[in-house]
Amino acid sequence: MNNHQPVNIIMIEDDEGHARLIEKNVRRAGISNDIRHFRDGTSALEYLHEAPDGPTHNGPALILLDLNLPDMSGTDILSRIKADGNPLKRTPVVVLTTTDDKIEIQRCYDLGCNVYITKPVNYESFADAIRQLGLFLSVIQVPDLPEAHG
Amino acid sequence: MRLSLKNVAVSEAWFNRLVTGAIALGFLALLATGLAAYHSVQENQYQSSRVNHTFRVERAIADFLATMERAEVGRRGYLLTGVAAHADTFYTARKQLFPALARIRDLTRDNPRQQANVARLVALTRSGLPFMEQSVALVRSGRRDEGVRLFRDSVGRRAITVLRAQATVMVNEEDRLLAIRDAATTGSIRLFYVTFAVAGTMLLLVGAGSIWVIMGYTRSLTASRDALRRLNADLEGAVRERTADLQRANEEIQRFAYIVSHDLRSPLVNVMGFTSELENAARTLHAMMDKVDAEAPQLADKDARTAINEDLPEAIRFIRTSTEKMDRLINAILRLSREGRRQITPEKLDMNAVFRGIGDSHRHQLDEKDIDFSVAAKLPGIVSDRLAIEQILGNLIENAIKYMSPGRRGRIEIRGRAEGQRAIFEIADNGRGVEQRDHERIFDLFRRSGVQDQPGEGIGLAHTRALAYRLGGTISIDSELGRGATFRINLPVAFVAEPET
Repeated sequence: MNNHQPVNIIMIEDDEGHARLIEKNVRRAGISNDIRHFRDGTSALEYLHEAPDGPTHNGPALILLDLNLPDMSGTDILSRIKADGNPLKRTPVVVLTTTDDKIEIQRCYDLGCNVYITKPVNYESFADAIRQLGLFLSVIQVPDLPEAHG
Repeated sequence: MRLSLKNVAVSEAWFNRLVTGAIALGFLALLATGLAAYHSVQENQYQSSRVNHTFRVERAIADFLATMERAEVGRRGYLLTGVAAHADTFYTARKQLFPALARIRDLTRDNPRQQANVARLVALTRSGLPFMEQSVALVRSGRRDEGVRLFRDSVGRRAITVLRAQATVMVNEEDRLLAIRDAATTGSIRLFYVTFAVAGTMLLLVGAGSIWVIMGYTRSLTASRDALRRLNADLEGAVRERTADLQRANEEIQRFAYIVSHDLRSPLVNVMGFTSELENAARTLHAMMDKVDAEAPQLADKDARTAINEDLPEAIRFIRTSTEKMDRLINAILRLSREGRRQITPEKLDMNAVFRGIGDSHRHQLDEKDIDFSVAAKLPGIVSDRLAIEQILGNLIENAIKYMSPGRRGRIEIRGRAEGQRAIFEIADNGRGVEQRDHERIFDLFRRSGVQDQPGEGIGLAHTRALAYRLGGTISIDSELGRGATFRINLPVAFVAEPET
């Protein structure tokens, strides 16, 4: 039953342009899932944990997370989502950022990020990386997601 | 601190002058005392010789008077008794009278007044003596009464009285001289005492003043020595503090560069992304224009055709190359900043092996350009960060290969020597060289020199220098345009990490 529930894409990204480019490429890859866009960490966390139509209470989700946010660092959000006891612990998080610093990438994986995508200035590789997400979505749709029940 | 040291220097000059002055003053006082004593003794000697002289003169006068009296006594005795012995006494004394006078005259030759007195005395004797002789002669010839009468005649007697008075005048004159000479002696002694007292007081004052100044100077010396010791103790702390400040500033710059380059990248992603979107849109438009041209060419005017087929692709091309370049520049800054934060891990390096390794990794390029690459036999080994050293040297050798002079066979020579605690390596080539005015500029980020016929952003040497600084080294160039270049790296023999704060 849950298997057929559509995955919501939650995009936490303060840069309007980046958000638009990500959305364009997601759509271009043939992914028609719902995309919710948040420009800061606070409102995104509130939606993730509290909103009745949010992932905690309603269905599976995929989180696209930027590391440079105006109110908090993306790694803070990541560590909260992936903290023990959080119902969203198994929700896949794709970190999308301009940083290609090895140490920072390492840190994100340590915190439990599932995929790390650098936003390269080379647009083609960026678009390619986003299109890969379609494949990723089809993978997480298959298994039963117990926490979807809340 | 510098101020108080300067004060000491000033007081030192002042002190030297003062001490020299005091010593000179003391010597002058001593000299004055000596001179006064010498003068006093001389004066005393002279005056006592004069006093002696006076006494001799007085004695000579007394002698003369006594002789005269003896002659008179003899005469009178003879006149009264007629005993021949009395006549002998008179004659003996009479014979001595003129020699006695001559002695007085000799003794008082220096005194015209006494000479006049002596002359008067001689005249009186001469005038009085004939009466005396005559009276004695009368008695001897048996005419005693005539002789006695002559004696009674007042002239003879008065002569003696006058003689006595004249002698007294002379003695008085000598007494007067004696008084003057006594006074002079007393005066010279008093002068000596006064001089002695003044000089003594002066010496005492100079001594006391010198002691006071020396004590003051010693105090100020002690104070400045203590201050110096304190300063010395503080110096190390001050250096540590400065180093910490510098490190903080450096970290701040690194962080700043990192953040800036990051935040610069973010809008660039947008520019690049939307340029691609624009390109897609332009391609679509172009396809449509082609279709319009084929099916209904009358719909498209010339301007629309130019805009779609030429202006749009051109604009997009320029945006693209510019943003790509900007991306490379930002990446360079990012790399520099990251390099500055990298942990340095020193290890023992065999520099011959390091250079050989770099040569091997560039073997292909060296062979292709037919460049002679030679490394000196025995290079000094160092303890440093392998990766950084390889990056520095690799960069310099790459540059040497890149900027060879066309038309002559390339040559790259590696030399090295140790100088105390520093190791100096030289990478010399016979390439196109760098103009004098660009010798510093080439180490700046994004700056290049000479003909721009080689790819590159002007990052390599800036990066190389930053790395050299990080390793506690320096890098410089020695070059003449067209004659090749020698890059000189000066590194510590053993890398010493700055103490972390």
